[in-house]
Amino acid sequence: MNDRRVAILGGGLYRPGRVRYDNAEEGVAMAYRSMLDDFPNLDPKDIEFVQSSYFSDHLNQQLCMAWIVQDYIGQHRKGGYRIEAGGSTPIDALINAYFLIKSGQFDLILLAGWEWMSEVDTATTNEFIASASDTDWDFTVGGFYNGYYAALETRHMQLYGETIEDLGRIAVKNRNNAVHNPFSQWRAEHGTGYVSLDDYYKDRIIAWPYRRWNCALISEGACCLLMGSEKVAKRLTNNPMWIDGVGLGTDSMRPGDRLVDWAYHGVYKAEEKRYPKNIEKPITPYPEMANFGFAREAAKQAYAQAGISNPLKELDVAELFAPYDGVELCLYEDLMFCPRGEGKTLIREGVVERGGELPCQLSGGLTAFTHPVGATSLLQTLFLYWQLAGLIRKKLGDPTLQVKKAKKAITTGHGGTGCQGGVIIYSKD
Amino acid sequence: MADEAKIIEDKATPIKKEWEEYARKGNWTVKGYEIVRALSGPGRIEKSKEEDFMVIYRPHGVLYHHSYGLVSKFFKGLIDKQLFGTKCPECKTVYCPPRVHCWNPKCRVAETKWIELPLKGKVHTFSVMLFSADAFLEMLPFVLGYVQIDGADTALPIQIVTAPTDVFVGQKVRIKFREDRKGDLMDIYAVPAKGQTIPENSCLHKNNKNIEHLNRDLENTYAFLNKRFGIKKEDVERRWKAK
Repeated sequence: MNDRRVAILGGGLYRPGRVRYDNAEEGVAMAYRSMLDDFPNLDPKDIEFVQSSYFSDHLNQQLCMAWIVQDYIGQHRKGGYRIEAGGSTPIDALINAYFLIKSGQFDLILLAGWEWMSEVDTATTNEFIASASDTDWDFTVGGFYNGYYAALETRHMQLYGETIEDLGRIAVKNRNNAVHNPFSQWRAEHGTGYVSLDDYYKDRIIAWPYRRWNCALISEGACCLLMGSEKVAKRLTNNPMWIDGVGLGTDSMRPGDRLVDWAYHGVYKAEEKRYPKNIEKPITPYPEMANFGFAREAAKQAYAQAGISNPLKELDVAELFAPYDGVELCLYEDLMFCPRGEGKTLIREGVVERGGELPCQLSGGLTAFTHPVGATSLLQTLFLYWQLAGLIRKKLGDPTLQVKKAKKAITTGHGGTGCQGGVIIYSKD
Repeated sequence: MADEAKIIEDKATPIKKEWEEYARKGNWTVKGYEIVRALSGPGRIEKSKEEDFMVIYRPHGVLYHHSYGLVSKFFKGLIDKQLFGTKCPECKTVYCPPRVHCWNPKCRVAETKWIELPLKGKVHTFSVMLFSADAFLEMLPFVLGYVQIDGADTALPIQIVTAPTDVFVGQKVRIKFREDRKGDLMDIYAVPAKGQTIPENSCLHKNNKNIEHLNRDLENTYAFLNKRFGIKKEDVERRWKAK
């Protein structure tokens, strides 16, 4: 690998909501404009490439939406293309833009991410999203992701003993963070009061073990980020957030196939050994339907590049792509914050809470902040940028979520039931 | 041999007329509109201003014809009340859902052989669904299961017809065929085998609060079904009581 350094230089967002009536290109333009406000020295002509990030053609009855967006903001003529991989779309767009700069091809890239998800009714939105599952198999019997993910969480719960209370603690934590984020959908819809476990228990179950609060939001929103090489970073900002490492991973399309997951078989022996003795083992014990192999695979690469050997100690803040609260708990394990089966301990002991050793989802995450798919990882990255640059008070008008002296951060992304995803490690000098 | 396909069994022509017509109905033309007054702008709510937006209604219906490819035998099997899997001649892995090519890297995408599987298995994992996509609403509440068919090494997505508070990981089930079979996984369902007791370590059952809350929200689902479809709780319970 060459020694070119690549950084996030800053960004802007368009406040996501359940339904927004400005359309996608206008939302991106407004996010772009608020990004430009932070770069008085940037001539838009100096941007060399536009990396677009959105996942669905179905949701808006429009193919090649990226072409509309790129010309709308006057960034056409130069190169640009879209990345698409379901929920993995925005993390892949970030990693791809990183590769394009790292390779020496470009020095300055604009990332534009968005999703407009409420142009069809909610059930149809769920169906369109679920058409990213195998439509000949999984789709036929469930028809939406809540069910698949709930089944994965049931398996993990059976193997490793976390409880509904643990899932509730995560849901409460994320909401009580989101009330301090004025861009969060939770705050827009529910105000600034804190919630408790008792409130969580009153929430309706939609796919046991998940209640509504445990599930990702449906959103319309946009985010723009500026990514550059060291050469341009120095000129444009005093606060570059460096990309120290990236990793990519995949797993099977159908989660049921992971019981005999030959590609993973024998690769992660320590995790295979931590399989409970009293439960019959499938041929491949890790990740099987309980954990997320893509995340382990991606984290291993990203940590090696970033020189991280003890992520819980060395990382200061995490924004995880967790569309369901059980995913967040499993990611603690698959990202090696703790051994397999100990995810529950991290939430019980407050390690991942605000003020804990490694706070996760200070923004509120996908279940309380927002989830306009193509923009999600960009928004989480922008949030981490504000954290590392010490800009939380300025950007949110409230210092509560600022992690003091934060230097290293992690974000993840994935699509399907963990079919494809990535990990990025960020740092500041 | 010419590179052309001929239809050797036709169960589509009668429905094509109806559905092609339906698909053509929504031909991307605007059928109506609304003017909506809503917040505009990128920033915080307090800083946003109201604008009037025109919202159009533009339908788009589609009828797909999709080949099941070389696993067509599995779906034709469902119509004929048979359950098939495939077995790799090299590593002996048994796939259900079937794969025509083994995915074990050692086997270099070897072609598998078809085998008939028994109509029984065990629950690998599950979710109790109290809400779902449109197509499934009338079936609520149902259990979405991943069942490992006896002799297979993978798990098949399948609905389990049971009282939602009775399902557990490791439960033995029997596979049944529906009367009206169309050629997809909804042609089959699972029912619990008789004479099993819920194990103490069942994650759904080991805390009483789980069952208490599930029962509370099942009542909400029954109320929804009654209001939306006129389906009564007793009608729903009959689905599994009859099995």
